[in-house]
Amino acid sequence: MAFDIFVIAEHRDGKLKKSTGELLTVARKLAAAGGGKVLAAAIGAGASKTASDLAAWGAGTVLIAEGPALEHYSSLRWTRVICDAIATRKPAVILMTVSSLSRDLAGRIAARANAVLASDCTALSAEGGGFKLVRPILAGRALVTAAHAGPAPLLATLRPNVFAAEKPAQPGAGSIETLAVADDPKDARVTVKSFVAGGGTRPELAEAAIVVSGGRSLGSADAFKIIYELADSLGAAAGASRAAVDAGYAPHSIQVGQTGKTVSPVLYIACGISGAIQHLAGMRTSKYIVAINTDANAPILKLADYAIIGDEFEVVPLLTEEFKKALKT
Amino acid sequence: MKIAVCVKLVPSTTALIRVVPGGKSLDFTGVEMVLSPYDEFALEEALKVRDKIPGSEILVVSVGGEASTKILEHAYALGVENCVLVKAPDADAPAAARCAAAVLKPYTPSLVICGRQSIEDDQWQFTGMLAELLDLPHVTAVSSFALAADNVMAECKRRIEGGEETIDVALPALISAEKGLNDPRSPTLKGRLNAKKKQIAVKMPAELGIDAGALSPSLKIEAYAPPPPKSPGKVIAKPPKEAAAELVRLLREEAKVI
Ligand SMILES: Cc1cc2nc3c(=O)[nH]c(=O)nc-3n(C[C@H](O)[C@H](O)[C@H](O)COP(=O)(O)OP(=O)(O)OC[C@H]3O[C@@H](n4cnc5c(N)ncnc54)[C@H](O)[C@@H]3O)c2cc1C
Repeated sequence: MAFDIFVIAEHRDGKLKKSTGELLTVARKLAAAGGGKVLAAAIGAGASKTASDLAAWGAGTVLIAEGPALEHYSSLRWTRVICDAIATRKPAVILMTVSSLSRDLAGRIAARANAVLASDCTALSAEGGGFKLVRPILAGRALVTAAHAGPAPLLATLRPNVFAAEKPAQPGAGSIETLAVADDPKDARVTVKSFVAGGGTRPELAEAAIVVSGGRSLGSADAFKIIYELADSLGAAAGASRAAVDAGYAPHSIQVGQTGKTVSPVLYIACGISGAIQHLAGMRTSKYIVAINTDANAPILKLADYAIIGDEFEVVPLLTEEFKKALKT
Repeated sequence: MKIAVCVKLVPSTTALIRVVPGGKSLDFTGVEMVLSPYDEFALEEALKVRDKIPGSEILVVSVGGEASTKILEHAYALGVENCVLVKAPDADAPAAARCAAAVLKPYTPSLVICGRQSIEDDQWQFTGMLAELLDLPHVTAVSSFALAADNVMAECKRRIEGGEETIDVALPALISAEKGLNDPRSPTLKGRLNAKKKQIAVKMPAELGIDAGALSPSLKIEAYAPPPPKSPGKVIAKPPKEAAAELVRLLREEAKVI
């Protein structure tokens, strides 16, 4: 049986997020295995601007939903648009990125569309006419391998940076279809009223390819400057341990760990972080881990690919200089 | 105002979880079980709203096994009015959402508060499902919650990628709590004593009209595995300046990540 794969794109004002390329790469592989098509939907202000990019990533059909009712995010309106599309297109798999959007929507969509949800997948493939996936549970203390054979669709959210993003040699047809937005007044019960941008110029923590994090040992908000400078030398996002956040050295929005954000960058640099289990929960799936720590027995070293045993106040600024030099050449 | 809170018993954040040889299940013997940390914020927010609006009451629901009485006793000690335990020890999130919905539908709460995720399955699934089953609007991972003067509208804040959203939601509604929503209180001695006099209402799924089919797991788990072991990394034992240069070289030439 041929099965179609349905990707929910993420974009801000028409600019696609990098993780959407990862979704479409996975979608193409799944669709090829099942002889199906790749559909992608973009919703909200600027959605139609994503169409050519989505085609370049291999979408055969691009579904666009925009207009006054979708000017501002509303979980109920988004759920309606997505579930209506699922009902008419009957995909076997729906893919979303792990993000604030999917955290808000996935459970609701699964309930309405009678889909089976698998969150935070780190592997997903077609196997034996169904699908096989791996996801961490218990904050990464165990991995679960699960199988899904249908007939209910599978709704999988994929961790950013874990899956490769490769554009196909041939773009998809990208035939554009407009999704009608049924305007149910009940959907007006929840709406985003305003959005205040914050976090400055650094990339978004959850999606960044490189993350530089600092811990309690920095001792002050002022000293955190060396972490930000190292991050900036690499175009990285900055993170912090909970102890650093609780002490007021860094904002909660950049806390990495079980009660903060989960990150899986290609490179994670932990400066003066001991590696408590709750911190590891948020970063253990990083591809390469670097630790800078005075204590050669700190738990983080068990996970580190490279470590410098030394004082962060000395090593971090030197590292910033070395990265600046290296990245110029 | 009728307020409902959903809570879950989970393994403590530091507990070492063993995979049973063969990978068919996890071994929780001797593992300390606790109230899921985000549920503490949910309970606190419910208490704050109740204390603000005269005549309010709180119903706390947990879906789980006998051991979950522990967290409901904690809720009583904090001063909530009623607790219900739905006995379904093996319920996954969709099954638990069905059980909780069956309790909450007839209760008609104006506000349902949950933790943003249970730190066991880490699915972030329960709250959205419950909201859909109860036909309530929902807001996920709320870091600030303020009822309007009419107690009908509420303003929520939620941190998302690149900034912070302010969301208007009309009650009845469901919100899930992010860390930092409030500062959870601890039970007082008097609260603990009062809790001893309270009864936890125990319901079986069948009594709620939920059959075995609706309790069966949605995702078929084939195997559990411990996280893959990491081979020991390289410690760069050099003076700081050379170590920094060497690290940059390794990241560039060996790991090829910069
Ligand atoms: C329910 C719960 C949830 C939690 N959630 C989180 C979470 O989401 N994220 C999180 O991070 N934590 C979380 N924690 C807290 C966690 O247990 C640790 O307390 C915390 O991660 C420690 O932060 P730290 O590594 O900065 O500090 P510490 O553990 O104090 O470690 C400091 C480290 O810095 C090193 N050091 C000191 N001076 C220097 C120097 N000059 N140069 C280099 N290294 C130096 C030390 O050797 C040590 O390894 C949680 C805890 C609980 C109970």
